[in-house]
Amino acid sequence: MKNLKQHLYIIAVGLVFFSCEEPVILEIPDAQDQIVIEGLITNADLNYVKVTKSRSFYESGLAEAVPDATVTVTNLNGTAYVFEHNPENDPELEGIYSAPAGFIGEINNSYALSVIAEGVEYTAQETLMPVTTIDSLTVEVDFEEMEDPEDEGRFYEVIFFAQEPQDRIDHYLFKFYRNDTLVKDFAEDIYFAEDEFLGSEIDDLPIAGYYALDDTVRVEMYSITREAFVFYVDLFNLINGDGGMFSPPPANPRNNLSNGAFGYFQVSALDSETIIVKEPDN
Amino acid sequence: MRKSLFMVLVLLGIFGRAYAQEKFTLNGYVKDANNGEELLGVTVFVQELRNGVISNNYGFYSITMAPGEYTISYSFIGYKTLTRKIVLSEDMVQNISLVEESTELEEVVVTGERPEKNVVDIQMSVNEIDIRQVKKLPALFGEPDIIKTIQLLPGVISAGEGTSSFFVRGGSADQNLILIDEAPIYDPSHLFGLFSVFNADIIKDAELYKGGIPARFGGRLSSILDVRTRDGNNQKFEGDAGIGLLATSLSLEGPLKKDKSSFILSARRSYVDLFARAANSENLVHFYDINAKVNWRANNKNRFFLALYAGRDNFDFGDDFGFDWGNRTATFRWNHLFNDKLFSNTSLIASNFDYGLESRDASQGFTWDSSIEEFTFKQDLNYFISPKFELDFGYHLTYRKFSPGRIAPTPESIFKGKDLAKEFALDHAFYIGSQHKLSEKISVTYGARFSLFQNVGKSQVFLYEDAQNNINPVRTDTLFFDQFETIKNYFNVEPRLAVRYIVGENSSLKLSYNRMVQNTHLISSGTVPVPFNTWAPSSYYLKPQKADQVAVGYFRNFKDNEYEFSAEVYYKTTNNVTDFADNAQIFFNEDIATEYRQGKGEAYGLELLLKKNEGDITGFVSYTWSKANRTVPGVNLSRTFDANHDRRHNFNAIATYDYNDKWSFGATFTYGTGKPTTIPAGSYQYGDGYIADIITDRNGFRLPAFHKLDLSATLTPRKNKGKKWETSWVFALYNAYSRKNPFALLTQVTQNKDGDIIGDGTEKEAKMIYLFPVLPSITYNIKF
Repeated sequence: MKNLKQHLYIIAVGLVFFSCEEPVILEIPDAQDQIVIEGLITNADLNYVKVTKSRSFYESGLAEAVPDATVTVTNLNGTAYVFEHNPENDPELEGIYSAPAGFIGEINNSYALSVIAEGVEYTAQETLMPVTTIDSLTVEVDFEEMEDPEDEGRFYEVIFFAQEPQDRIDHYLFKFYRNDTLVKDFAEDIYFAEDEFLGSEIDDLPIAGYYALDDTVRVEMYSITREAFVFYVDLFNLINGDGGMFSPPPANPRNNLSNGAFGYFQVSALDSETIIVKEPDN
Repeated sequence: MRKSLFMVLVLLGIFGRAYAQEKFTLNGYVKDANNGEELLGVTVFVQELRNGVISNNYGFYSITMAPGEYTISYSFIGYKTLTRKIVLSEDMVQNISLVEESTELEEVVVTGERPEKNVVDIQMSVNEIDIRQVKKLPALFGEPDIIKTIQLLPGVISAGEGTSSFFVRGGSADQNLILIDEAPIYDPSHLFGLFSVFNADIIKDAELYKGGIPARFGGRLSSILDVRTRDGNNQKFEGDAGIGLLATSLSLEGPLKKDKSSFILSARRSYVDLFARAANSENLVHFYDINAKVNWRANNKNRFFLALYAGRDNFDFGDDFGFDWGNRTATFRWNHLFNDKLFSNTSLIASNFDYGLESRDASQGFTWDSSIEEFTFKQDLNYFISPKFELDFGYHLTYRKFSPGRIAPTPESIFKGKDLAKEFALDHAFYIGSQHKLSEKISVTYGARFSLFQNVGKSQVFLYEDAQNNINPVRTDTLFFDQFETIKNYFNVEPRLAVRYIVGENSSLKLSYNRMVQNTHLISSGTVPVPFNTWAPSSYYLKPQKADQVAVGYFRNFKDNEYEFSAEVYYKTTNNVTDFADNAQIFFNEDIATEYRQGKGEAYGLELLLKKNEGDITGFVSYTWSKANRTVPGVNLSRTFDANHDRRHNFNAIATYDYNDKWSFGATFTYGTGKPTTIPAGSYQYGDGYIADIITDRNGFRLPAFHKLDLSATLTPRKNKGKKWETSWVFALYNAYSRKNPFALLTQVTQNKDGDIIGDGTEKEAKMIYLFPVLPSITYNIKF
């Protein structure tokens, strides 16, 4: 389900024969940290804004949270919702601001985000686009994987079916879960699509990952705006690039946030479908 | 126009003097005595006049002089100089055959104190590639490749190890016009550049023009690589077969009619896939090249040539996907002598480059293809008016068709078909250039190329609310154009000038200026072009790229021309250099126009070359100091950045040593400042465990230096009497001391060799990619 245009980069990067790679330590001067905003508004009970900070290249662990920001989301009618920082006081959820109870996104409504952090206001605006519904999911055995499964028992593929509306422009983001754990084929994978090259019948499309019997598999399909799609394409290229040899030189993803904040304020309609993996009938 | 041209000629005293005294013309072709191949660039020197001419690109020369007795010497590097006394009392034809200098004979060549071409020739910033030397040099997997030698010339930088791309004087790879028998090659790579499309068996010679580019060439900013193939032996049948680690080749040549007509056929194919197929592997990769040429010398006035080339790469990954690309060219040439002084070359040229991609996945299947195709008519004339004055002029017309891409889904695919709008262009060029010997010391060439580039229909142009908005382009209107209806015209005058001043007996100073205009733009945002890049014409949104270059050089030969030395400095500015926005989507983008960014480029440098032409040891050492930067609005926050092809120091040395008639040795050494690359200033976490780098400064970091030594030895066992064939073995060591040379630098979440994440997935690392360690190879050649 990768964007068609990404195929080429993958081919080019993968074709460096005889190569070997080794980690090197770069001397990178410490840069000033910057605000990173990860906002998500949906038409379901999944609404939050996460505010963290960027850091030096070699730092690891959880990102430094910004707990004292003022986060407000305002809809087209001018109703403002103030998001509260970590209401449960869960240390795992530091930096996450939750929507007030009962808040839910509406299709075709627009949302303006305001984050005031360390004396600077960062804003973004995004419209909640309708999403195509998932028709169904089915299960098939992948015989090649069955011969030599990477993980014991995981050789079932989940197949996705949908009808792509041809009379409007859609952009999609997908997430896949095995027993509520996110599944990606590779850590740097992002599953997104634009409908420019898609026909109306989305049939027999295998999702990422292989699954075992009795796994609960959930597919989430998010509508995203053109701008969000561009952000994910850029993010994908940045984290999958080869440093500018065959792929374009790395660049910061284009986003919808003002004042140079990194991240994105995503507003989506969400459709999800769940299947429990059983032996296929045939 | 015509009238004013005539006036210029009269003012220059050409016509005036031509009628003043009766003169006669000596002309003819110069060829190799052994195989009848025409020799280009032979110095034809008239001792009495201390003046001479150089045989043209088709081996033809013509000198017009007053009646009298003359001593004419014909000299060419690697051949014995031939001296003839003639009595010129009427027009004369002298077709000359030169004999190759054999390395076995230590002989003193009498040159008549004639300084060599390097010093005398007005042309500067040109390098000739000696194909015989290329064959003796060590080569990757034992495949001799002229592009790999070109990458070692002064002023030339390799785009990266294992690539066939090169940068000339601070220009990008697409600014080189690569010609095979005058037909352009749009992508010279096999196996993503491991080898070039030039099969060494068929190449006669190659010249690289880096500056002071003659008016007969145009269309690219930085260089012209003019590769010419052999005509085939017109004396006897010959064959050549080579078996290398990677590819095998076969050439056949011989007379169709002795002295009159000959053919050459050469084919090369890699055969790794045959082993893979035998081992039942589904991943099959191969490439091939076929060159064919026939020529017919009807008489001394008419000669015809037909040259064909086809080459292709095929990558086949079983049920998953496959892709291929290739060039095809055809050149038909008619050389005609209108009279003793007026030489005409009429060419019809076709060239095609295309690539295809195929995804064989059941639900995500599609085929994708793209091509560029061109047809050219060329009329070139050389007018040898007097030994002091020559005129070159002509008209070139090219029609180009750009097919940027078409997607066709397979029956069960989720994709739908799409065809990007094709683009068409007509390119007219009229040029005139003169070679004028003002005095014994000073010679000049001056001229200009007048180019009219027409972007024509049938096509369409989208108009945008904001043509630079590449996030969400909003089209306001679409303009439709009929077939051959003009969309945009670009007229440019490209002046060309070169001056040569003889300083002493063996040295000269040269100066040149050229303006070059480029109307075909490569759509590529990486450092190294990949075969999946497309081309676009100058158009509604793309302005012609223009470069102005000034170069000054000092040229000196030592020890009877055994050594050549040159030092050149150049300064080049480029306007409207085509670049792409940060994050540009260059593949299959209908709104690609919104990704175009054009800006300025600047490049300057110093090039030193010392070359040894004769003796047991031949070769060259070169050193280049250079800088290249770009300033493009909308790229790197509009700040100036080091160009991808910026390298400060480059040192190269190549040598071949003929030890005895059994053994010869070759070596190349190269050292270069590391290439610029972009590294992160920091990182941040977003979404489902993604860790993104923060990018602040494009090309702000240097990879470590590149250096490498290659060695080769060629064994030619003594030819047994009675045996009709000769064999040779070439042993080579690529990267002899196994230097780990950085190819690229990338960052990723820290992972082990199998690609599994180490730790909690929040730690990033930088990784250097290295290409080839030491690689031995062996090649077996049979000549029959």
